[in-house]
Amino acid sequence: MRKKLIAGIGLALVAGLALSGCSARGTSGSDSGSSTEIKKGDLIGVALPAKTSQNWVLAGAAFEKSIEDAGFKADIQYANAGNPVPDQQSQISGMVTKGAKVVIIGAADGSQLGSQVKAAKAKGVTVIAWDRNILNTKNVDYYVAFNNYKVGQLQAQALLDGLKAEKGDGPYNIELFAGSADDANATVFFNGAMNVLEPKIKDGTVKVTSGQETFQKVQTKGWLAQNAQSRMTDLLSQYYSGDTKLDGVLSPNDTLARAILTATKAAGKPNPVVTGQDSETASIPLIMQGTQYSTIYKNTTEEAQAAIDLVSDLSKGNKPDTKIDKTNNYNGVKTVPAIELTPVLVTKENAVEAYKGNDTLEALAKKG
Amino acid sequence: MKNLKLLFGKGNSIGQYGMIIALIAIVIFFSITTKGLILEPTNVINLFLQYSYILILALGMVMVIIAGHIDLSVGSVAAFVGIIVAQSMSVWHWPAWAAIILGLAVGALVGAWQGFWVAFVRVPAFIVTLAGQLIFRGANQIIGQSTSVPTPDSYNAIGAGYLGDFGPDFGYSNGTLLIGLATIIALIVIEARGRSRRKKMQAEVPPLWVSIVRTGVLVAVTLVATYLFGAGPVGTSIPIVAIILGVLTIIYGFITKNTIFGRQVYAVGGNASAAVLSGVSARKVNFFVMANMSVLAAVAGMVFVGYSNASGPADGTGWELDAIAAVFVGGAAVAGGIGTISGSIIGGLVMALLSNGLQLMGIESNKVQIIRGLVLLVAVAFDVYSKSQGRPSLIGGMMRQFQKKDTEQNTVAAQQPQSIQDQPDKVNTQ
Repeated sequence: MRKKLIAGIGLALVAGLALSGCSARGTSGSDSGSSTEIKKGDLIGVALPAKTSQNWVLAGAAFEKSIEDAGFKADIQYANAGNPVPDQQSQISGMVTKGAKVVIIGAADGSQLGSQVKAAKAKGVTVIAWDRNILNTKNVDYYVAFNNYKVGQLQAQALLDGLKAEKGDGPYNIELFAGSADDANATVFFNGAMNVLEPKIKDGTVKVTSGQETFQKVQTKGWLAQNAQSRMTDLLSQYYSGDTKLDGVLSPNDTLARAILTATKAAGKPNPVVTGQDSETASIPLIMQGTQYSTIYKNTTEEAQAAIDLVSDLSKGNKPDTKIDKTNNYNGVKTVPAIELTPVLVTKENAVEAYKGNDTLEALAKKG
Repeated sequence: MKNLKLLFGKGNSIGQYGMIIALIAIVIFFSITTKGLILEPTNVINLFLQYSYILILALGMVMVIIAGHIDLSVGSVAAFVGIIVAQSMSVWHWPAWAAIILGLAVGALVGAWQGFWVAFVRVPAFIVTLAGQLIFRGANQIIGQSTSVPTPDSYNAIGAGYLGDFGPDFGYSNGTLLIGLATIIALIVIEARGRSRRKKMQAEVPPLWVSIVRTGVLVAVTLVATYLFGAGPVGTSIPIVAIILGVLTIIYGFITKNTIFGRQVYAVGGNASAAVLSGVSARKVNFFVMANMSVLAAVAGMVFVGYSNASGPADGTGWELDAIAAVFVGGAAVAGGIGTISGSIIGGLVMALLSNGLQLMGIESNKVQIIRGLVLLVAVAFDVYSKSQGRPSLIGGMMRQFQKKDTEQNTVAAQQPQSIQDQPDKVNTQ
């Protein structure tokens, strides 16, 4: 008897709860897939990784300004450097809870945000991957980033131009370096560069003395400077001990470029033409002195503006001008429609102009 | 006042419910500052999705700390297990259930390794687990080559999944309603059986209204929780990870309070020599406490991998400190011998609510860290101060009350007025 009573009471309580409000379940978002309309004054969440480099610090300020100018409300959050992934996960969930209509994500780890973007999409939030793609999920709407294939092409072109300018007439002896195999971007950089270099290798303008021309052979494990330096040292002693002169090196970024230059200097060789990327503060003086030939500048302010322009476009109901580009923007499940920005090639000649608006880099370029 | 004592147990003033009051205060504070966002069903569900792994770690950590040790390796062990589990599915194509068993087995092996050094070689746990932190972090990086390894959806459910929707649509998740119903019935049955057993034992039976109010409060809490978990958007409900956490909490709550092994952990932590002289095998206790921690770290790591849909190279960084903070905010003593499962869960919830609430307010994460640090310091200082005033530990005292209340209902021994539970401080601080 008593047990029946107890069960009865419990059942009545839960049934009461169930019947008290049939519309209690949040149906604020549309069903899966389609995104809700974006209006002026809506909240836009921007989740950025930890402030581990100057670029990310600049990004926050750039977003704040462009979101305000476009007439939206900004909620910009950086992940904590100590434990960035869980921190960013909860920040993104928090933005969705707060009712953000768009979340722009510079992922701390692009492969670990699947659950959050899924929840965001379920609420009709537009998800934009920024600078780094979000991997292995169909719940990304857009990807805004610099065109990495183009980066490679620019690097290769810079190498050819530099050789012509500094090493007299060809044929030139060069060596190739690529980034780390586990970084999806590294192959994209390399393929872009080879797209320009291959015809020149075929017609004999440049010659890879070591014959190491495939990505597997020229990759730099973990993007580590020490690995590039030891490979360069080995190449120099193996192939350039006699009269053969090394004229140029294709380097995928500034850190590796400096490691390569350290190796050639240690071997007592004349400076080869070396390319780079990222406009690192340590490399800009080298470029201004003529030690490193070139680097690539990706203007963070421009990149943030591109994302907000995309949001503005969407809010006006315009169809954004996106590219479907599988080489650059396939995330493992789908090719994310992308806004691709063109990076700027920087050499001694155009450095001061290219860095305008970025106080630190501009000052360095002027000083050099 | 007498009535309150009847409600919550003897010998304590209302001031000793500081931790629960703090928790409620935090919820009220954030309800105002976030305009109710913190109690949105979606946010409550997110809270459990995001912080369950810390609470799972806290369950093991409180036992380690009660036994007088510390475990600094849990983050690395979690990451180590996480990458193995992820690899087993993405590279060897194991099914999810096999990967989970593998993960638990690896956790047990790691635990046996650490337990061996602590219990048998007698290297301090601080050192053993500091070494473990380095060893297993390194192993994690080697196995994963410092990259992220994605996991399949079938597996991700353990960290990111919900109890599925089924049956007729009442406007709430049916599974959640059923769990809520079961919990409510269990609460009423436990209270009713406690009363009838007391009657049979001819012990003092508390007035009926006390039982009704006490059970009523717990039922109300369950109803609110059922509502919060059940009223989220369609497709969500009580997260599977919250169910895992709930089951583990009940199991470990039972072990620490009601089993011989559980009491031995307190004895070894309180006074190892006295415990050994009374016939407790300190070795056995130390071994199992350390081994158990690594198994729970494995669970936490696997849950997090599921939630993140991938095992990443930075998983687990700093988790040990979050778990330790939860335990100490929950009233455990650095010297060992004192601490409870329920206290640690509440401590963990306080820390999680702080992060979540501050984040919803839009406070920068670096400042959130500072605030959490200050809360930890103040909470423990408050506890230490009240102990030094000769009063029983505020947080500990309150937690023991809950423990006692449950014990009264569950065991015969506790019904004696002069039982161990009625003089908790003497037992625990010797």
